[in-house]
Amino acid sequence: MTKPAQKAATKMVPMHETDAERRHEHRFQVPENIARLVMRTTASNLPLSRDDRPYQWSSTTYCDTIDWSIYRAAETGSAMQLRIREYHRTRPLVVMSPGTAWIEFKDDEQDTSLKERYGVPMEVARSFVHGDPRSLDLDHGLAERASRLLRAGARPVVVTQYNRLAYSALDSSLRITADHNLMYFALPWEAATDREEPTPLGTLLSMEPNVIVEMKWYGELPHWAVDLHQYLKENTKEERPSKFIVAIRWLLGQNGREAK
Amino acid sequence: MLPDTDGYDVCLRIKSNGATAPIPVIFLSARGEVVDKVRGLSCGAADYITKPFQAAELLARIDAVLGHARNPRAPRLVRSTERAAGERPVVRVAIADPPLATHVGQLLAPRFEIGAPEAPADVVVVEGNAAVPADLNEDLPIVRVTAGRASEDRPDLTPVDGQLARIVDLVVRERRLDSDLEAGAEALIVLASAIASHDRPGQGHGERVAARAVQIGRALGLDDSARMTIRLGALLKDVGNARLPASLLAKQGELTAEERAMLERHPLLGEEILGGFKRLSGLLPIVRHHHERLDGTGYPDGLRAEQIPLEVRIVTVADRFEALLTDRPDRPGVSGTEAIRVLQASVSRGELDAAVVAALATQVRSTGGG
Repeated sequence: MTKPAQKAATKMVPMHETDAERRHEHRFQVPENIARLVMRTTASNLPLSRDDRPYQWSSTTYCDTIDWSIYRAAETGSAMQLRIREYHRTRPLVVMSPGTAWIEFKDDEQDTSLKERYGVPMEVARSFVHGDPRSLDLDHGLAERASRLLRAGARPVVVTQYNRLAYSALDSSLRITADHNLMYFALPWEAATDREEPTPLGTLLSMEPNVIVEMKWYGELPHWAVDLHQYLKENTKEERPSKFIVAIRWLLGQNGREAK
Repeated sequence: MLPDTDGYDVCLRIKSNGATAPIPVIFLSARGEVVDKVRGLSCGAADYITKPFQAAELLARIDAVLGHARNPRAPRLVRSTERAAGERPVVRVAIADPPLATHVGQLLAPRFEIGAPEAPADVVVVEGNAAVPADLNEDLPIVRVTAGRASEDRPDLTPVDGQLARIVDLVVRERRLDSDLEAGAEALIVLASAIASHDRPGQGHGERVAARAVQIGRALGLDDSARMTIRLGALLKDVGNARLPASLLAKQGELTAEERAMLERHPLLGEEILGGFKRLSGLLPIVRHHHERLDGTGYPDGLRAEQIPLEVRIVTVADRFEALLTDRPDRPGVSGTEAIRVLQASVSRGELDAAVVAALATQVRSTGGG
C-alpha cells in the first residue's frame, strides 16, 4: 500500500482536435478475409492516415462511475464517453504510461458521433481522470460535460487494445479503419494511493475473433465508398455496439455467453 | 493455416497470460507482406520468418531468440533447506578468480561452513557484478565483494578484509530474524484459526479465503510482498471475533439491531488486537476494512471506492465468494458459477471492484466452476 501521490496542478494549453459537426459512424464486424478485401479497396482510394502508424497498438482506457451511469446511458442509445488513448509500437502490458496521452470525449448517438480530443502529457491526463479538472483548462463543449462526470466519480474501469490500420482522406471527410486483435481488459479501481505508476492491465475479459471495420464520414459518401459500405453491410457478422459497451458487458458478465 | 484461429491470436494469448508470457514466439507464416510482419512483431513475437524457409536459418533464429530469453538465474520452486539452530551457517563462495576465492574462504572459515557447489547455503558471496550461480535459490542473500578498497562509488561492494566475516554474519542474522518473525506471524494465524473454528461452523474458511485471495492477487499481477500481505490479512481479518461473546457468534437466525452493531465491531476489535504487532501493521487495513463497499455502504467507516486499497478489495471479494459456496443454517451453498453471478450483481450495484470479480470469474471458469 503505497504513499499518496502528489497531484499535478499544471495549467496548460493542450493539442486540441474537435469535430466541426456530428460525423456519421458505422461499425462492422467482419471475418479477416473480408477485412483484407475491404482494406485493399480502401487503399486504392484513400491514403494511409498520416497520424497513425500502420498496425500500431491503440490502448484506450474508458471511465465510468461506480454505479455504471455512463454505460447505462450508452445502452439506451446516447452517451458521453470519457477515455484516455495512448499509442505504442508493441503491445504494452500497462496503461497510463509516460508519454503523450489523448484525453477524448465522445458523444455517441445511433449513427453519428461528436468527438473532442486533447493531447497532453500522461501525468496531466492521469491527474484529470482522477478528478482534478484544474489540471486542464477545459470549460466548454464536451469537455465541460466530461468534467461533470469526473466530479460525479467517473474513473478508469476498462481497457481495449487493438492493432489499427487507418486510411483517411486528406480533408478528413472520410476515414476507414480496421481494428485487428481487439482485446478487452478489466482495470482494477485505483485507490488514491496508486497514482504514480502506470497501471497494470487486469484480467483479459475477451478477444474479438473478427475484425472491426469502422467508416466515419461527413456529408455524402463517394460512390466507391457507398459500394464498400453496402458490401460491408452484406458481410457483417452482426450489428455492433461500441467497444465501450461490449467491454463493460464483458466486465459485468452481461454478454449472455461465456468469455473466450 | 491454423483451424478456427490464427497466429496473431495464439501469440496474444501466450503474451497475455503471466505464466506463459516469457515464452518467446517466432512466427512462421506464408503471409509475407510488410504489414503482416509488422502486425506479428507488434503482437509480441520475437521474430517473423516467411515460408518457404530454410531449416538452418530457422534453427539459427531459434538459438538467437533463446539466447536472449534465457534467464541467467533459473527460477526455483523449492526453498533451500533450513538449518537446525546451533549449526554453523553455510556460505557459498561463487568467485571465479581462484586466489580471491581462496582468500575469501580463509577469512570466513573460522565462523562459517564453506559450502560445496550444489550444496544448500545460507548466503552467497560473489565478486562485483558477477552473476549468481543459476542453481541457487532466488531468495538467498548475496554479499558482493571487491578485492580493492571500499569506494563511495560502489557502496554495495564489501572489501575483502577483516570485516568481511562480520558483515556476512549480519546478513545471515537478518535473514534468520525475518524467518523468525514469519514464524511468529504463522503462530498467530494458527491461534486465530483455532478461535475461528470454535466460533464458526465454516471450518477452514479463513484458509480458503486466503488461498483464493492470493490467487486473485497473482492474476492481477501483484508482487510477492503484496500477496503475502493479502494472505496474512485474509487469515487474520476476523481475529476481532475473539473479543465478541461466543453466544453472539454461534447465534442462528436473525440478529437484533444491537447484536448486528456489536458484530460489526469485529474489524475494529481485530485492529486493536493486532495493532501492537509492528510487523503486522501492513495488513491492518485489510483487518479493518474488509467489510467496506465501493459505494460507501459498508462498515465500519463507510469508505468509498478510492479510499479502499486494492489488497482490501481482493480479500473482500474472496471472503464473499467463499461464504457463498458454504452451507449456512439459513441457506445452502451455491456453485462457483452461481456465486460469480451473485458477485457480478453486486458489482452492478457498485459494491465490489469489477476487475477483482473478473479475475475471480476467470479462475472459476478455468477450473470448471469450482
